[in-house]
Amino acid sequence: MRTFLPALVMVLASAVHAAPEAQALLAASDAIRNPEKPFGLTTTLIEYRNGKQQETTSLAVYSRSERGSGQFRSLLRFLAPARDTGKLMLKSGNDLWFHDPANQATIRISPQQRLLGQAANGDVVTVNLAGDYSARLAGEEDITDGDRQPRRAWRLELAARAPDVTYHRIEYWLDRSNNRPIKARFYAQSGSLLKTAYYRRYQSQLGVERPTETVIIDGLDPNWVTVMRFADYAWRDVPESWLQRDYLPRFKPE
Amino acid sequence: MAPRHLWLVLLLAPAAHAIESDAAALQLADLPDAPAAAVPTRDWRAHAELAAGIARPRDGAQAPDSARLSLDAVLDTTLAPGWRLVLSDRLDGWAWQGRADRAINTLREAYVGWQPDASTVVDLGRVNVRYGAGLGYNPTDFFKAGALRSVTSADPQALRENRQGSVMLRGQRLWQGGALTALWSPELADSPSDDGFDLDLGATNPVDRWLLVASQRLNDWFDPQWLLYGEPGSVQAGVNWSVLLSDALVGYVEWAGGNQPSLLARARGEDDSAFRAAYTVGATWTTSFKLSVSAEYQRDNSAVDADEWKALQNDVRLGTQRGSADDYARYRQLAGTRQALTTREGLMLYASWQDAGVAGLDLAGYWRRDLVDASWQSWLQARWRGRWADLTAQWLYNHGTALSNYGAAPATQRWQLALTHYF
Repeated sequence: MRTFLPALVMVLASAVHAAPEAQALLAASDAIRNPEKPFGLTTTLIEYRNGKQQETTSLAVYSRSERGSGQFRSLLRFLAPARDTGKLMLKSGNDLWFHDPANQATIRISPQQRLLGQAANGDVVTVNLAGDYSARLAGEEDITDGDRQPRRAWRLELAARAPDVTYHRIEYWLDRSNNRPIKARFYAQSGSLLKTAYYRRYQSQLGVERPTETVIIDGLDPNWVTVMRFADYAWRDVPESWLQRDYLPRFKPE
Repeated sequence: MAPRHLWLVLLLAPAAHAIESDAAALQLADLPDAPAAAVPTRDWRAHAELAAGIARPRDGAQAPDSARLSLDAVLDTTLAPGWRLVLSDRLDGWAWQGRADRAINTLREAYVGWQPDASTVVDLGRVNVRYGAGLGYNPTDFFKAGALRSVTSADPQALRENRQGSVMLRGQRLWQGGALTALWSPELADSPSDDGFDLDLGATNPVDRWLLVASQRLNDWFDPQWLLYGEPGSVQAGVNWSVLLSDALVGYVEWAGGNQPSLLARARGEDDSAFRAAYTVGATWTTSFKLSVSAEYQRDNSAVDADEWKALQNDVRLGTQRGSADDYARYRQLAGTRQALTTREGLMLYASWQDAGVAGLDLAGYWRRDLVDASWQSWLQARWRGRWADLTAQWLYNHGTALSNYGAAPATQRWQLALTHYF
């Protein structure tokens, strides 16, 4: 009994202070980044190389979660620079289509090809990680967030469920008090760091405090920094029938 | 520092560097000069391009140097809820060294669209309809015939940009994962016009034509697009299918076939209709350093085979046998107008490299080989994306015997320098 009682106490204590289920934490953080109903927003991507501002890209994003899988399907429309105005990218998982209104060409592109443009960073945001990754709670850490504030954070290790994803593994830090994403590191299958992202400047958007800025640092070249700003959050009617190749030449934004 | 602590420093150095670079990146994002708001949505786009080209003529051919000013504008606006107006036009002002100057206007699109609900669309007017999974040759692009009016670049993408649509009535019905499109394009004129400001309906609407296009997504890898096309005396079926083979590899196939005359019979005004098919099969592979490479095999059974091609060439070499020395010229002209393959088989390698070693510099190029007569063409382009304008340098090289597919081009080499400003 002398040995049983402390063991029982420990079991009960751990039950009371049980670490939350990692997958549930991940889903909760997805809900903070992504509204649950079809929505639209504008993303401005400002690129810096060696501290010098480069080209700025603006995209209108229309997004909705797919019935069943919960995975986001997004339509991205270029607003700037002027040479790219009107170009479209449709993304539904690894099903990616690019449409150029100048030549009416609609072509399938690979996830690797998608990384050619700045738009690649756009879908780091509108993606439901809980759908594609298995989460494991790797511990608690004190970290500095993107606004330079100290935060007590859960550290999640995300492993890709399918082999054909761009980011094979993700380290993900969530605010322990409210599950807000603070920081993420995206890794390739080779183990090399592809991107580091800081989610910051939380503001109330569509009824929830959401990050309105993401700072992305290239893993291979830390002097390559992309700042993404999100504005014009709005509930949007994005019919399922629009999110397909054959509608791209007809897409007309409101 | 004590040597015994050196290992600790070495161990922590990468982490310290990462933290420093993260802090520097966050400081950059704090800069007040970075734009905070998105640009407003607008319903037009336009650009102007100033270009100069020089050519090295083939022996005995004429290929004058040229200068060009192009104005290109597109308006896509909402007239009323559910009603849309699309106007797309391009004006090319050409000047050829010491010979002539000319303005060519291309009204690419001018149509009114009506969308009574989210799943139904009806368009009426001149519409640029384009289908095809292929990169350099598109057998299912049935409305490409007569579409080219002013060729400003050998780039396959530019050839698709500077083309005029056909006048048609088009309807589309969409559902989740699928769509059905039907269109009818009537005969409006008999022959193409040389007038630079003509609507050129004789080129785009020479006969009554119709097209049905259906697609239904069945699963992640099988969602082809099926086509059925008809014109007087010919009905053709077609399919476009592209599939993701790996994280970096996309494969595609495009096929069209049906009862139709050969290209040579068309050129001669004869009818030898039989079942003939054309197809393109290829793949695009993208590296982690932004280089994309495509390889494509192209075949058209309507085009001349090796024996027919030699016979056509021999007619020119030997004079007027069969009274058909002009067959070669007529055949080539028709192949060009229809954007068809000149001979039965071709191969194309295409590469594009974004931010090629330097941010803002894009390189592109292709190598096309005629597999029937072994002539080939190569094209290279360097584009510098500037803040106010793009600077583009292009080089085109044709190689082959005098009457071969590519060797017969008036210029063996062409260079072009262009400055493009986007409004």
